[in-house]
Amino acid sequence: MSLLVAENIRKAFGSTLALDGASLTVEPGEVHGLIGSNGCGKSTLCKIAAGSVGADEGHLRFDGREGFFGTPAAAAAAGIAVFYQELSLIPDLDVAENIALGHEPGRRGMVDGGAIHREGARLLARFGSSGGKGLTPGGLVRDLSADQRQIAEICKILARAPKLVIFDEATSSLDGDQVQIFFEIVRELREAGTGIIFISHRMDELFAICDRITVMRDGRTEATLPVATTDREAVLTLMVGSALATRHRDEAPPRPGAPVLEVAGLSNAVLRDVSFTLHEGEILGLGGLHGQGQSAVLRAIFGADPSSGSVRLGGMPHARRSPAAAIRAGLGYVSGDRGINGVFLDRPILENMAIAHLSKSRAAVFRPRAFVERVAGIVARLNLRFAGYDFPLRTLSGGNQQKVVIARWLATGPRVLLLDDPTKGIDVEAKADLYAIIDELAAEGVAILLHSSEDEELLSTAHRVLVFGSGRIRADLAGEALTPTALYRAAYEVSAA
Amino acid sequence: MTEAAAPAPESRPPLRIRWALAFVVFAVFFAVNAWLQPSLLTTRVLTSNLTSFLPLVLVAIGQTYVVLAGDIDLTAGAIIALVNVSVVTLIEQAGGSGGAIALGLAAGIALGILCGLLNGLLVAVLRLQAIVTTFATSIVFGGIALWILPQAGGSVPQAYWRGYAGGLGPVKLTVILFLVALGTAILFSRMRWYRHLLAIGGNRLGAFQSGLAVTRQRVISYVLCGLFAALAALCLVGETASADPLLGPSFTLTSISAVVLGGTALAGGRGGVIGSILGALTLGLINNIVFFAKLPYVTQDLVKGLIILAALAGGILGARR
Repeated sequence: MSLLVAENIRKAFGSTLALDGASLTVEPGEVHGLIGSNGCGKSTLCKIAAGSVGADEGHLRFDGREGFFGTPAAAAAAGIAVFYQELSLIPDLDVAENIALGHEPGRRGMVDGGAIHREGARLLARFGSSGGKGLTPGGLVRDLSADQRQIAEICKILARAPKLVIFDEATSSLDGDQVQIFFEIVRELREAGTGIIFISHRMDELFAICDRITVMRDGRTEATLPVATTDREAVLTLMVGSALATRHRDEAPPRPGAPVLEVAGLSNAVLRDVSFTLHEGEILGLGGLHGQGQSAVLRAIFGADPSSGSVRLGGMPHARRSPAAAIRAGLGYVSGDRGINGVFLDRPILENMAIAHLSKSRAAVFRPRAFVERVAGIVARLNLRFAGYDFPLRTLSGGNQQKVVIARWLATGPRVLLLDDPTKGIDVEAKADLYAIIDELAAEGVAILLHSSEDEELLSTAHRVLVFGSGRIRADLAGEALTPTALYRAAYEVSAA
Repeated sequence: MTEAAAPAPESRPPLRIRWALAFVVFAVFFAVNAWLQPSLLTTRVLTSNLTSFLPLVLVAIGQTYVVLAGDIDLTAGAIIALVNVSVVTLIEQAGGSGGAIALGLAAGIALGILCGLLNGLLVAVLRLQAIVTTFATSIVFGGIALWILPQAGGSVPQAYWRGYAGGLGPVKLTVILFLVALGTAILFSRMRWYRHLLAIGGNRLGAFQSGLAVTRQRVISYVLCGLFAALAALCLVGETASADPLLGPSFTLTSISAVVLGGTALAGGRGGVIGSILGALTLGLINNIVFFAKLPYVTQDLVKGLIILAALAGGILGARR
């Protein structure tokens, strides 16, 4: 009998459908790989199986028990342990205390500190010296590095002796030796009859350790393939799907313009030696898996995060001291996280539109009427409609709010627009408007750096795409070479067949 | 790399003294106090100081559990006022016998627990904002106290305050109470639920995903805070032998100051009860110092505020090193 059966799971977060028709079956003693592109619903599916997110529809059976788990505690009691991508460690408890959390040894409500410590030491010993300095049972989690935290989280799972383990990106910070030890542990679990779900973006790891692989796309399960009879190309093809099989834009920019933005050796906490050149009138896409440095590049260039390396804007050095300096130098930054990075919801539309202009202009007095005349053309062009400039921005839809942000930057006459997933959470019509404007602006000579978490948008808009992985540029795709398959191949590190 | 090999399984858990800094701050103020008031080092003065600091120590202990869980309780002072007037009124109306006193004590403790339970249900179960919710319930509790007893007054039977001022042989009851509170706090800190409390305050989502009973634990911390506030109120009854509906409020923020002074992070998850006890004692010493420095009455509050600010800044800057 299968250990876990999840069938036709459906889950919506607000108006976003995260899962629809997601299914997964795991046998005891099986390592089951789960792969799919950004936001395909892998993590959500696992969270539903583990009781930390509720499902809207569908069916779940675990170890002969029917029904969804109401809480993580219930799932844990039934024998499911999860390695959460964002980790579930407590920073101010030590490693051994974290490993024992929720099932501390001891009698009559008292905790046996010695036993906790010994158990922690026993589990950590599996990783030997590969964990590096500071990874001791008594070390505070807040002092650990990213790989050490992942090891601690792995040990926390082993301590629970579960029937099913879900490893969600458990190897993302581990080095080669650590991954090998991790694989040994996974094999031992398999021998012992434990079911294992292994989520990874590293195709090599999936093929090295898994018995079967399930591919997900857009919230649904595409196929489950035995590793013995499949290959990387087949998996990649399923991930790309037919909708993405064609690229809508294949022409180069109408006229190759002069270099506007020259980035060389850009590095910081996220980025590793990023270099590229952006030309006038070019739409340069930033792609790859989520959070591989795409936003970090934009924020570094805009001066919002510190970075080393050199950036030249129109041939002049660009110091990146602050966003204010970047605005004066002719940059504009539009974020998909409007609430956090972009707008003042309770302030009037006029102020939201004028704020970048105010930061750039040297005039001592702001004359609203003159500004409105100035932006009237932009507003008409953006197809932006509202009841009046005095209304708070909150009264507009997400799509129109984002248009206000675009108008804000157009009012400053920027040379370079940095777009950080600008269409996140806005409706289809507004998206189409935004992309039309992006095209027009590029045709007028504005250079555009576009990060989108939706590969389809990237492929249909950008002239050229830089694929990011672990803070580096993995591939620079343009013209004939810019295909959906090439994009996925670079993102998932599959060498060309 | 090789010398960082995994530790031998027989090694012991590390001893982490989270209240070391709070102890240093306490020692400094103790020394200053002793210098200004040489009689401090006599048993009699030490005991009387401990007696007057005891209510704040108790409230600070209770407040610590709430803060460790990542919440805050602004009702501690109002609970003191409510329990104070309720107990005195109840004992009076029940005739003032020994049985009436026992009834009053039990009712006071039950009332504190109920108030804490209400806070916990509102904050942890209904998920209302802790700071605003407990501010609102504090007004409710204080309002009820004023309704029960509009003016300070009433009196408890002699047996109550005589008993409170008494002791076991040469050891005063208040000293015993202090030691029992300290012992209980240390015992609690070795219990499973306390570990979970730290986890919940440190990373609530992580604790939830680890299968901990987050909601129940947060409710329990509010109940403990209510319980300790009630105990503080019973001590105040013993000290003043009467009731005052306006007695409590200053305890709320003072207890939070004691917790912070003791090294517990207001964000939760880090710190401990012993630090809070030291913090409460330090605040008491500061009162003494301002008094014995013979400052003009009108500047005492100002100086007291500046000293507390300096002690907090010193503690925090010291911890940041």
